[in-house]
Amino acid sequence: MKTSRGAAILAIITAALLILPLVVHDTFVLRVLTEGIMWIGLAIAFDVIAGYTGYLNFGHGAFFGIGAYTIGILMMQAHLPFWVALPLGGVAAALTALIAGIPTLRLKGAYFAIATWALSRAIQQLALNVEFTGGPDGMRLEAFLNPLFFYYLMLITVGAIFLVLWYLLERAPFGLKLKAIREDEEGAKALGLNPTMLKMQSFILSAIPTGILGGIYAYWITFIDPSSTLGDLVSDQAVVMVVFGGMGTLFGPALGAILIFAFKTIFWAYLSDFQLLYLIILGALIAISVIFIPNGLWGTLVKRKAVARPQEKPEPASEPAALSAVAVPEEGN
Amino acid sequence: MTEPILKVNSVTKCFGGLTAVDDVSFSVEKGEIVGLIGPNGAGKTTLFNVISGYYAPTKGSVVFQGNDISGKPPYHLAGVGIGRTFQVVKPFAGLTVLENVTIASFLKHPKKADAERHAWQVLETTGLADRAHLSAAGLTLAGRKRLEISKALALDPSFLLLDEVVAGLNPTEADRTVELIMKLKAQGLTILIVEHIMRVIMNISDRLVVLNFGKKIAEGTPAEVSSDPHVVQAYFGEEAA
Ligand SMILES: Nc1ncnc2c1ncn2[C@@H]1O[C@H](COP(=O)(O)OP(=O)(O)O)[C@@H](O)[C@H]1O
Ligand SMILES: [Mg+2]
Repeated sequence: MKTSRGAAILAIITAALLILPLVVHDTFVLRVLTEGIMWIGLAIAFDVIAGYTGYLNFGHGAFFGIGAYTIGILMMQAHLPFWVALPLGGVAAALTALIAGIPTLRLKGAYFAIATWALSRAIQQLALNVEFTGGPDGMRLEAFLNPLFFYYLMLITVGAIFLVLWYLLERAPFGLKLKAIREDEEGAKALGLNPTMLKMQSFILSAIPTGILGGIYAYWITFIDPSSTLGDLVSDQAVVMVVFGGMGTLFGPALGAILIFAFKTIFWAYLSDFQLLYLIILGALIAISVIFIPNGLWGTLVKRKAVARPQEKPEPASEPAALSAVAVPEEGN
Repeated sequence: MTEPILKVNSVTKCFGGLTAVDDVSFSVEKGEIVGLIGPNGAGKTTLFNVISGYYAPTKGSVVFQGNDISGKPPYHLAGVGIGRTFQVVKPFAGLTVLENVTIASFLKHPKKADAERHAWQVLETTGLADRAHLSAAGLTLAGRKRLEISKALALDPSFLLLDEVVAGLNPTEADRTVELIMKLKAQGLTILIVEHIMRVIMNISDRLVVLNFGKKIAEGTPAEVSSDPHVVQAYFGEEAA
């Protein structure tokens, strides 16, 4: 099975990441890895609504920024401890999804993408123009300078997000129901599915981890402002990672996040004077993957195996129902 | 007499100025196959959409098993036992045949393993088991029509609406689908079916309801209906001409 192979690879990577800080003491490397892991979390959370449900959310960054600001404001103005503020970042993102989802989830295709993009711009403008966010000057958080703490916190959080999403989307019926909505909303209704409800659940499920990651980011980086946390970049990169890696899967976006983030890190290390070029390459990459690998990297790799499968006659023993059904002779047409 | 499973009471459905279904009443008894016939544009699909909750009737009501269901959403009606197919088939193209049917099975089997097992059973009944792992997009028209029936059946409905599931099939495929429909009837399912192919509809229906320009122009056994002068003129007349 493709999932168990993926899970094994993932377990090895996770184990390697867990022991890595014992070997690598370079804080720059640790910092890069922490951010890379964060992007895996952001990409898979984005894919819940974009890949599984078929709603391309160009305002994904708003959930991240709202999580970041919630933690910042609660810690600095309400003086709540980080561990109390952090889950509330997820709650704030969930509420945003609920309110934003009511009007936008009725839209389809490009209209949804445009509406969510516009809403996220509005939220950014709001953060720029009100007092309690610090406006354009941003907000400084109480510094807790412990790179190892943030590395492990990010790793454990993203690992937990992955497991929860994997269970809900790949093991439980929920993931298939979302795909039914993605494939044909009207047809899904006839099968007892309530699209409005499922889309909202999906949007909220996408928002919560994103808000929490925003909160961790804020405490880690200790400085947030509207352009770094509420800007376009979070949404844009999530889109590229997911489209390039493979939509509607968990391993695809994770792979996309690793590759795109590695590329970004290398690019910015050596070519930081050419930021525009980075965006051009990002855009070109989207176009190229949509045209040449519409299923993304992961989708293309797994598809090739799936085509080969029917040739090996007996079904794997793990699916006894499959065996009996295939055994029934059936004159095909 | 027992209460009919479905009662359509003076249902009217307008699209702007167009009256697609005009004051239609009839009922369906438990265990019956009722054929709904009429020329193209007569309002058959629109009536299906009203009964299955896709449109609220402009006037009138639909009563299913004693409850007024007019205007209830389709996903609610699937839950009370109404399964339907679409004339313009609606496969979940990016998913496998098995996944398509599993999704419908979730209604009665909330656990994924149970739903999959149930989906396999349905696919054996409908003869798609050998194509279970194929992408739904890769099916032939016959396969896709069969998938429509499979999905509706996976809901374990008590009442089935079939919209032109035979049309477009070659004679062999058509015979297999008719066989399947008769098997479902034998299992106690009540069926309302729209079909153009006279050979099929005359054979399988216990009763027929004939629509023309949205109005019901006749109702009765196939023999009665085919000798009804209104029907001959409005419907069979076309073919004779
Ligand atoms: N959604 C709609 N909006 C406007 N007109 C419609 C719509 N659906 C059907 N109609 C019209 O209603 C009439 C009946 O159509 P339909 O129910 O599809 O007929 P049938 O299934 O008997 O061929 C036709 O004139 C058709 O153009
Ligand atoms: Mg029709």
